[in-house]
Amino acid sequence: MQAATVVENPMRAGMRLERTAEPCAVVIFGASGDLAKRKLIPALYRLVQEHLLPAEFAIIGLGRTAMTDEEFRDKMKASVVEFSEAKSVDEEVWQSFAGGMQFLPSNIDQPECYGELAKLLEQVDKEHGTQGNRLFYLSVAPEFYAEAVRQLGEAGLTKQDKGWVRVIIEKPFGTSLDSARELNQQILRYLDESQIYRIDHYLGKETVQNLLVFRFANGIYEPLWNRQYIDHVQITNAETVGVEGRGGYYEKSGVVRDMIQNHVFQVLSIVAMEPPASLSSEDVRDEKIKAMHSARAFTPERVAAECVRGQYGAGSIGGKPVPGYREEQGVAPDSTTETFAMVTMWFDNWRWSGVPFYIRSGKRLAKRVTEIAIQFRQVPHQLFGAAAMEQVSPNQLVIRIQPDEGITMRVAAKVPGQVTRIRDVNMDFRYGASFGVQLAEAYERLILDCILGDSTLYARKDMTERGWEIVMPILDYWAARKSEADFPNYEAGSWGPEESFHILEQQGRHWRRP
Amino acid sequence: MWAEMSASKGDGQAAGVVRACVLNLVVYVAGKEECPEVNDLLEDVVERHPCRAVLLVVNRAATEPRLEAFVSTRCQLSAPAAKRICGEQITIEADGPVVDTASTAVTPLLVPDVPVFLWWKDIPHYEDKLFDRLAEMSDRVVIDSASFDHPHKDMLRLAEILKEGNLRVSDLNWGRLTSWRSLVASFWDVADYRQSLAQIERVAIEYDPPDASHDEIAPKALLALGWIASCLGWEVLADDSSLEAGRAHFKLSDGGREIEAVLAATDDVAGRDGMITSLTLRTAAGDEFFVVLRHNEGKLETGARLGGDGQKVGRVLAYEARSEGQRLSAELDILSRDEVFESAAEVAARMLSSVAV
Ligand SMILES: NC(=O)c1ccc[n+]([C@@H]2O[C@H](COP(=O)([O-])OP(=O)(O)OC[C@H]3O[C@@H](n4cnc5c(N)ncnc54)[C@H](OP(=O)(O)O)[C@@H]3O)[C@@H](O)[C@H]2O)c1
Repeated sequence: MQAATVVENPMRAGMRLERTAEPCAVVIFGASGDLAKRKLIPALYRLVQEHLLPAEFAIIGLGRTAMTDEEFRDKMKASVVEFSEAKSVDEEVWQSFAGGMQFLPSNIDQPECYGELAKLLEQVDKEHGTQGNRLFYLSVAPEFYAEAVRQLGEAGLTKQDKGWVRVIIEKPFGTSLDSARELNQQILRYLDESQIYRIDHYLGKETVQNLLVFRFANGIYEPLWNRQYIDHVQITNAETVGVEGRGGYYEKSGVVRDMIQNHVFQVLSIVAMEPPASLSSEDVRDEKIKAMHSARAFTPERVAAECVRGQYGAGSIGGKPVPGYREEQGVAPDSTTETFAMVTMWFDNWRWSGVPFYIRSGKRLAKRVTEIAIQFRQVPHQLFGAAAMEQVSPNQLVIRIQPDEGITMRVAAKVPGQVTRIRDVNMDFRYGASFGVQLAEAYERLILDCILGDSTLYARKDMTERGWEIVMPILDYWAARKSEADFPNYEAGSWGPEESFHILEQQGRHWRRP
Repeated sequence: MWAEMSASKGDGQAAGVVRACVLNLVVYVAGKEECPEVNDLLEDVVERHPCRAVLLVVNRAATEPRLEAFVSTRCQLSAPAAKRICGEQITIEADGPVVDTASTAVTPLLVPDVPVFLWWKDIPHYEDKLFDRLAEMSDRVVIDSASFDHPHKDMLRLAEILKEGNLRVSDLNWGRLTSWRSLVASFWDVADYRQSLAQIERVAIEYDPPDASHDEIAPKALLALGWIASCLGWEVLADDSSLEAGRAHFKLSDGGREIEAVLAATDDVAGRDGMITSLTLRTAAGDEFFVVLRHNEGKLETGARLGGDGQKVGRVLAYEARSEGQRLSAELDILSRDEVFESAAEVAARMLSSVAV
């Protein structure tokens, strides 16, 4: 009997079975590099351990370093031991995973290499049943992104005639609006937008995903989520680390390019967006970009009055003295690269008109924390008299993204006793605690999503360009006034330059201490 | 109690106590001996599901009526200097004649508005008054078919209850099958193999005999076969089926094409109570898809041997038996009906009926 083609897997019905990936070959460009070792291979191994990758799965590593398959496997095994929580791997489980792992010494700009790659992929399809599905992971320096895609395209490897072909592109995506546009143009010559997965590992974080659930699965917040009830929003994205030996890279970048333009804007757009029609990747990303389109442009006057740049000087973190930015390795002694930035955003739309969004992000700040604080308006009429209210601030909703993911709501309550004295009380909810689970690493989630063809948590073309479009006037303004930067202007271990506090104080507001 | 706890920490705000409750968990145990085990297990559960736990310890044999209650807190300190997450536990001991009505002592203790789970840590006595009353006020009843002392009879009864549809039932034993089901299902994520689903001619499942009733088929094996048959829409044929000690033969049909299913007990190995040890699906073309448990090594091996050229694609995976607490936690995640489980149990019962147990 000839069976009709079965489209869906009938055994996947029901709710308990997690999504398992389809058969595929993952080709890692830059497999001898740092990211592959620290994040990619450990994430793939975790997925295997969780039974989320099929047996029909193979990895091909690429790089110029000459390595045999055996050497590559040993190196990757060592890195799994070093960089994953397990700290040891089961020999047999590893072998059955590593059996599908190969290394092809190759140079990104040499066309012959792609012919070899194509041959190897054919062979892998036969031996490992990978069904012609390919995921190319570009874990190489950004200047190679376009070249790798071009070569893949010229070699016919981007065509989806047998199975799907997807490409993951690492950050940074461009260094300016022009370069991002150019990069998009170059890769779109060979790929369809639906094949492109631009990594923003912030979106892989459980709490960022929870933000969507929090906003759109709870009926009580959405009616309050607008200018009527919200006074302003604060987003803090603080790191305690400095440049960690990557001073050379950071010199060309700075916090606006490295964090704000991509990660912070992704989070910001989820806070500001309208409810999407569905949770499909296109609907969600449509709403996010719509919100960003209504962001008010930065004029020189606005940059001067509402934005602050900063650079850390020597100070101390956790009680230990740390050097200033200009003393870091690979950094110019008169560097004007910003390691801190505060920007004020306004969304000119019905929901947010008149509500400022204060954003600050920086290195070597007092505490590692990323959070969104929604400050509600003061009650319209003071019933309880000044004395009673003295200790009370308006309601505040804080969504912490890292660490210690969770939500805190500040409400006023009466202190028990004969006199009416009112104090703030925090109502606290922690994700880790309420559901006591180990939150998955961002890379695990993102790689699995890509293999499953879900691009919701990846940045779309329009968003990458819009991010740059918004920040370019700030970068241009500061670049034109390098000599005016009075750096260093904050001490390592503090909450950033004084000026970032003044801006809020002038408007009768103040930064929350996270 | 709560005041004391926050005070002991001093700085109420920074690292105080967070009291949280996402559900009520009523646990029934027959006899005090079970308490230490249940208490350990609740540790795991509270971490994931801060809850109010009501532990009902029953001694039916006692002649003197006695009803007593104790309160305690259960806290989790997940990270140093982090907030403690606490929930309460109330233990009720009921002896003798008051057992039947002990549910009335439970009702007022439930936290309003959050779901109520009943974990009946015993063989479900469906006719029992207390079971009936507790089940009625619960959103979900958690049982464990591995504890059935008459697997065949109890399985039939379970299927009946599911069919009546008044109770939402979670079976911990079904939860134990999830990783097996996932591995079996993943063969057919490969589009090339999918057509072979319509050519399966034999299913063989080996299982360790259940400790409680050696000669009967392990509920897990019955559920696994029931699941495959219900997913693929197979009918149970009444004739040609047979059942003997430690071995069952069932005839199934996929729109006229016959399928043979064999469930066979392996040697009894301690610590493997009722586990499935291997599951193999064979197609008319001679392709075989299998999952094998290597129990003493803690590994699962999965693979496909494809007909003529004998090509084998496979993988060895670590098999981490999850703790009972984690299993229970997983059940507490689910509130809606589990239709896949219900169909699997129904087909399992139909197969048992076909051999007239
Ligand atoms: N590391 C991180 O934590 C991190 C975090 C976020 C984003 N990223 C991004 O991830 C990407 C990779 O970063 P990384 O830190 O892994 O860099 P890396 O350690 O410098 O690795 C670069 C890789 O590219 C290969 N490569 C360089 N030139 C090549 C050529 N001409 N042909 C073929 N292969 C070549 C190198 O291998 P050979 O020397 O053997 O050729 C090496 O494997 C970058 O885009 C980076 O911005 C990294």
